Amino acid sequence: MLNKIKQILINHKEISGYKIGETIIEANELFFIKKNVDMDRAKSVHHFKVTVYIDFEEKGTKYKGSSTTDIHPTMSDSELEKAIGEAAFAAQYVKNPYYPLVKPSSSYKQMGGSNLSKESLPYWMNEITKAIYKNDIYEKGGINSCEIFLNKIYTHAVNSEGIDIDSLDYECMIEFITTWKEDGEEIELYKCLNFSEYDPESLAGEVMDMITICKEKAIAKNMPALGRACVIITREAVKDLFSYYYSKSNATTVYNQGSTWKIGDKVQGEEVKGDYITMTLNPLMKNSTFSRSFDEDGFPVEPVTIIEKGVLKNYVANSRYAHYLNVEPTGSVINLEVNAGKNSIDDMKKEPHLEIAAFSDFSVDGITGDFGGEIRLGWYFDGDKTIPVTGGSITGNINEMHHDLYLSKELQKDNYFEGPKAVKLFNVTVAGIDNINE
Amino acid sequence: MKVKKSEFLTESKPLLRKLVQLLSENYEYVSVLGTDTKGKSYRVSNTGVEVNDYMFAERGFVVRIHNGVNYSEYSFNEIDENRLNSIVEEIKLKLNKVSKEISVNSYKVIEEEEIKKSYYGEVKINPAEISSEIILKDLTEIVEAALACSELVAQFRASYSVMHISKLFISGKKDLEQSYLLGEGSLFSLARKEEKAKYYFAPCTGLYGYELVGELKKMYKEVVDQSIKLLDSKPARPGEYDVICSPDIAGLIAHEAFGHGVEMDMFVKGRAKGAEYIGKQVASALTTMHDGAAAAQHVSSYLFDDEGTIGTDTVEIKEGILKTGISDFLSALSLGTTPTGNGRRESFERKAYARMTNTFFEAGNDKYEDMLASIKKGYLIEGTYSGMEDPKNWGIQCIALLGKEIIDGKLTGNLISPVIMTGFVPDLLKSITMVSDKVELDGCGYCGKGYKEYVKVSEGGPFMKVKVRLG
Repeated sequence: MLNKIKQILINHKEISGYKIGETIIEANELFFIKKNVDMDRAKSVHHFKVTVYIDFEEKGTKYKGSSTTDIHPTMSDSELEKAIGEAAFAAQYVKNPYYPLVKPSSSYKQMGGSNLSKESLPYWMNEITKAIYKNDIYEKGGINSCEIFLNKIYTHAVNSEGIDIDSLDYECMIEFITTWKEDGEEIELYKCLNFSEYDPESLAGEVMDMITICKEKAIAKNMPALGRACVIITREAVKDLFSYYYSKSNATTVYNQGSTWKIGDKVQGEEVKGDYITMTLNPLMKNSTFSRSFDEDGFPVEPVTIIEKGVLKNYVANSRYAHYLNVEPTGSVINLEVNAGKNSIDDMKKEPHLEIAAFSDFSVDGITGDFGGEIRLGWYFDGDKTIPVTGGSITGNINEMHHDLYLSKELQKDNYFEGPKAVKLFNVTVAGIDNINE
Repeated sequence: MKVKKSEFLTESKPLLRKLVQLLSENYEYVSVLGTDTKGKSYRVSNTGVEVNDYMFAERGFVVRIHNGVNYSEYSFNEIDENRLNSIVEEIKLKLNKVSKEISVNSYKVIEEEEIKKSYYGEVKINPAEISSEIILKDLTEIVEAALACSELVAQFRASYSVMHISKLFISGKKDLEQSYLLGEGSLFSLARKEEKAKYYFAPCTGLYGYELVGELKKMYKEVVDQSIKLLDSKPARPGEYDVICSPDIAGLIAHEAFGHGVEMDMFVKGRAKGAEYIGKQVASALTTMHDGAAAAQHVSSYLFDDEGTIGTDTVEIKEGILKTGISDFLSALSLGTTPTGNGRRESFERKAYARMTNTFFEAGNDKYEDMLASIKKGYLIEGTYSGMEDPKNWGIQCIALLGKEIIDGKLTGNLISPVIMTGFVPDLLKSITMVSDKVELDGCGYCGKGYKEYVKVSEGGPFMKVKVRLG
């Protein structure tokens, strides 16, 4: 099929270049209710995504039009010809500034293989099941339901400049719900894990952690109205918070006017009272489902510092937008490392604060910096005692707070993110359940 | 014009029948769903142009078998006469291989009634007859007109997508086909004054052909104006307020409050508080809520779902009383209820779950003007940003783009943004005191189950006066 696609692209003389992404996925899936398998699924699929490029010139300015189309392995010759022909027709009206396609390179990094490659998918499904249910041993609660998706993915990038590179990777996603019941109503919390290396201790530990915080939610009180407060965010919300810095330092966002950040900007402001942010892209990160030695364009990727001590050093830039902004490309890289801060979590907790363990959905706006979410579980320390709390919400804007933000000394790893376990913010608006209009 | 059926699925039908026949030699129940969804997405802004295939385009098959104890599924996208036996072998080799140490739930074999039906949608202007050149030209005109409105607009984006959805379901007794078009358009305006940036967006969706772009042309000025006004917005002061929810926010509440809350696969898992409240009051007597492929003509209107069940109109809440939920086939089998035609998949590659379709509150008798006049201090909440459900504990989180201040029954022109509404679902729904007389639906969004399994849904309602907590 790949050769057939290439031949049709070559036959279209109006096409200046092309990019083909080929993916083959073999997958096994298990769906549990409590400890019982409710359904099993398997998958075997083959996909192609073809981008055609047409270069043209108007009034002395060079443009590169492009259009992307999906090619299915069951397409007839005439369907293939039609899909590519339509993409080529559309591309001639896509008037984007010119950029060069990625050229072949000899500098692709060697990736360490996943331990999941050592046995079959069904073998690992059973091993993963054992690890997930290892700590599900309590009477008052445990795993309510769980879904395990294990994918073996072949990725192949080809372009008209001679790029031809592939990789074989493993991705596992586990979604589970834990419940707990004390004297009141049974409560539940949601967790999603993504990884590319089998680590049974880590999986069992994640379940134990969720069971532990579920117990706390079962005895949590209504969130009091705090007005403005010191808030410590933890777990996935820390990753979500740094998505703002990823978005604002992304060349695509800058080019599209969603960010005004410039190289050399002090992104946390002139006077920083708290910790400086240092953020690095690491496409080779161990145990991330996004780790590869090349991006979707076939560009060879490697670690790059984006923000160093609060100063923007590089944009996150694929080859197209790097060309537009006249900066070095980093390639499209998702994996993010954020340096630890100076203080331990225990130090952070010495003064009155609200620590939040779980949100309904922590939302961070990558353009405005507005953030917020409903609190599913937190602990409120009033300077004297600590109580688990639930309900209410927090809101704020990162731009108004990041000059006085503190990062924990302790680190966490969550698929594509490695960074502080906790971030402390001041003057966050906390709406409690008992709020009364003034 | 009638929407054409997929030639690919038509040509594959004899092969699929043969596959069902071959598999039926080993399994008591066999079905196959074939999908062929194609479409294009066009996006024009002042910084670039994009033309790509529709994000959820797909072509493939999923086989479901009863393995002797429960159900197994196999998804694949390569088929021809010579491969049929190898597909059968793959199914034998890959499915039902769970270790003997792990226990399994058992399900009865599905008993089907003989049914042969087809549905082909209709649109006014066939998008296939409009060239990419014309579409990009029309969208470019909208962008240029919007940019000319104000220098404060940093980016303006006009998007249009068309989806041609074709599906085929074959089992021992079922032979179903459907093919229909969906149109989706949106406008996005990013305004900037010095370092402050705010944006506003508005959708236009439905069972439309290219006529949808004509609607977009009427909307750009309002989208630009709102984004500029948002530059002067203030954060909401936390507290409980009387608010009027616009139809899109009413829809968001319907979706998050009792849409997810009555998905009956959650009943099977013991994850839905709603299961204990059937027949009880959960909302104000002014509240009646529907869900169903046959409940409205919008983006989730189809003949049959992804398990071959004919779509229905389910009245979930009738005058404040919770009546029933929505279900996929296997949940209904487990609960001993009738499936409602809500078994939906993100694609042929994914499992079917109980999912929403067109979810909305019924209209009431109040006039919008009277509702506005009844509020001493509060807000008119508009523009869906996001929402999150909590079917077990009935918490709700809805984020809106803006709130328009109301003082003494009049809009003051002041805005709050962003707006986070939280609360306990029955408290919120029981606080509904006025309901306007016209329902509007919107289908711009995709609904996830947790953070995955995205399907196209519509949601809506009339204007509704409620008491909510804003953060």
